[in-house]
Amino acid sequence: MGTCIESVVTTSSSSSIFRRGSLHLAEAAARACLERAARRPDELDLLVNTGVYKEKNMAEPALAAIIQEDIHANPGHPPRHGHHGTFSFDVSNGGCGCLTATHLADSFLRDGRIRLAMVVTADADPSPRSSRGFPFRPVAGALLLAHTSEPVGFVGHEFRTFPEFADLFVSRLDWDPAYHRMLGGHGGNVVEVREDPSFAARGIECAVNVAQSFLATAGLRPADIHLLVASQYPADFANSVAQALGVGSDLVAHARPQCRMAHTAGPMAALEAAAAARTFDEATNVLFVTLGAGITIAVALYRKRGRSPLCLSTSA
Amino acid sequence: MIESAERGHAAHVARFESVGVKLPERRLSTHELMASTRHPAHIDLEHLTGIRERRVCSEGEDSFTLAVDAAHDCLSRSHHQAADLDMVICASITRYRDGLTHVFEPPLSLGIKEAIGASRATSFDLSNACAGMMTGVFLLNELIAQGAIETGMVVSGEYISALGANAARSIRAVYSRQLASLTLGDAGAAVIVERSPDEKPGIAFAGFTTLSEHSRLCTGVPDRHGAGGRMLTRARTIHKVAMQDAPPLLKELLDERGLRITDIDWFIPHQTSARAIRTGMRVIGAELGGLPKHTVINCEEFGNTASTTHFVALHRWLTEGRFREGEKVLLVSLASGLEVGAILIAMDRLTKTHGNVH
Repeated sequence: MGTCIESVVTTSSSSSIFRRGSLHLAEAAARACLERAARRPDELDLLVNTGVYKEKNMAEPALAAIIQEDIHANPGHPPRHGHHGTFSFDVSNGGCGCLTATHLADSFLRDGRIRLAMVVTADADPSPRSSRGFPFRPVAGALLLAHTSEPVGFVGHEFRTFPEFADLFVSRLDWDPAYHRMLGGHGGNVVEVREDPSFAARGIECAVNVAQSFLATAGLRPADIHLLVASQYPADFANSVAQALGVGSDLVAHARPQCRMAHTAGPMAALEAAAAARTFDEATNVLFVTLGAGITIAVALYRKRGRSPLCLSTSA
Repeated sequence: MIESAERGHAAHVARFESVGVKLPERRLSTHELMASTRHPAHIDLEHLTGIRERRVCSEGEDSFTLAVDAAHDCLSRSHHQAADLDMVICASITRYRDGLTHVFEPPLSLGIKEAIGASRATSFDLSNACAGMMTGVFLLNELIAQGAIETGMVVSGEYISALGANAARSIRAVYSRQLASLTLGDAGAAVIVERSPDEKPGIAFAGFTTLSEHSRLCTGVPDRHGAGGRMLTRARTIHKVAMQDAPPLLKELLDERGLRITDIDWFIPHQTSARAIRTGMRVIGAELGGLPKHTVINCEEFGNTASTTHFVALHRWLTEGRFREGEKVLLVSLASGLEVGAILIAMDRLTKTHGNVH
């Protein structure tokens, strides 16, 4: 029994004039993801949002609850008797949010108590006119996870932090009395992102360290990895990790150009591209490696057994 | 509701091993707060809510320090060392550090786990409004049941009184959507959840769901006029729908376990206001055909401390020696979302490890 991926979709926004906020992007991704898997919204038991830079910097409720309402995933009461309804919450773990959420969802899906979960995420600069140093492209992603009775899917997650590098990537929201709004008034809450030039290099070192130890524990060699799905920020993270691990460059999943430099949706964008290119179909062992501030590294192994009706849809 | 694994179907069972709290020393009475409103509001907030005072942060205190101090307090009563923790979940709504600077990355949980020395732990932040800590416990219970971890901590620090201070600048009348902000108080809380060593289930069951058609009834966003946030609540509507929708869900959860509400010894609701809790209990009594033996109301002195309320109340009742081993304690969340959740614990030796101030 396990947790397998049914579908993955990303959406992006390229227009800076008609800016789409993270909520709109996330909802579009969630709807398309369900549609691609031919699932109804009311089949969702669990909805976890992992975006860090949310619409209007909303602190409550969980953005997942708003997404749940807007995509009509059991929004009302009462849920049918004996039906779970949908439970929604947000998780924040920077670039490792996606794997944090798959780890949590896996614990509910594995024994079949729930049948369908979605990890949805979006990051868009909530205030592009005022924010400083915001490096991520506005991208949303949705990953649909299902219970499977077969011994496939996620077989291990590992997380490790390197707090000695905590200052290399810092983002916050702070009151700036010097900020002048267009329509008058003084001061504003301003998003500021500070990235040290060494963040990417240290992140790659940490990721390689964790991935090597993870593979050794799993009894796998780099040659056993058929596809590497990694964070898309920093830009050279995926290739550099693959090279250091000894995974062939042709086995690295790369997001389509509109989704490069995505933040929490990066691994989903890479997975979607691999699915479209059929490299996911051919893989048995898929290694996920993600990087977040902290420095936090998350690694997961996803194991397939050929193509299966419960595995990733590539119909797009 | 998504429910915890039934006993017999899970590899392990979990229990609350320790509860810790940090309350700021400074007290702010409702009278003082209402005297600080910019416009004459003519609102008898104490009469409306039953909240006499709340604790508020002083210079040098914020969400981070409250969370770290609560985590230390929790560890001081625990037989675990920080290094034993497999997971640390920070469930704060407010993630203020160094005053009112909201932290996005690295997550606040990372700083907390490092501050307490839980270097081995996986960590992440969780947002689920005032149901955050309860959701964190639900997740830890699940991960322990499946054998993925053995010991974890859910911690939260809420420097949320700043929302009240911001609301005091704009409130003019009782129908203001920021009125509920005036009920908020600051607190930190932490709970360690462990695999039950004797396989006796401290956490008997847990269930959560989101009635998201009400998701926009209470929202918290950064303030437009100063540091910190503001919370906009349709208080009457959210109370009405919560009273309409939550009791049947509770009944279903209890019925499935062959329990009646009258079997519950202690009922710990989310501490919004004493008046709202008493009204809610009357509805529960009518809908569920009876009442629990005791209902815990703690907000008169502390206000609504957001995600920490259940654990501030639990800690106080433990410290005052109110529980007896074997009693059933039902913690019930009603939070923005609308999140509805319940966790039933069978009181165990936790009663012995938290002292008795009397």
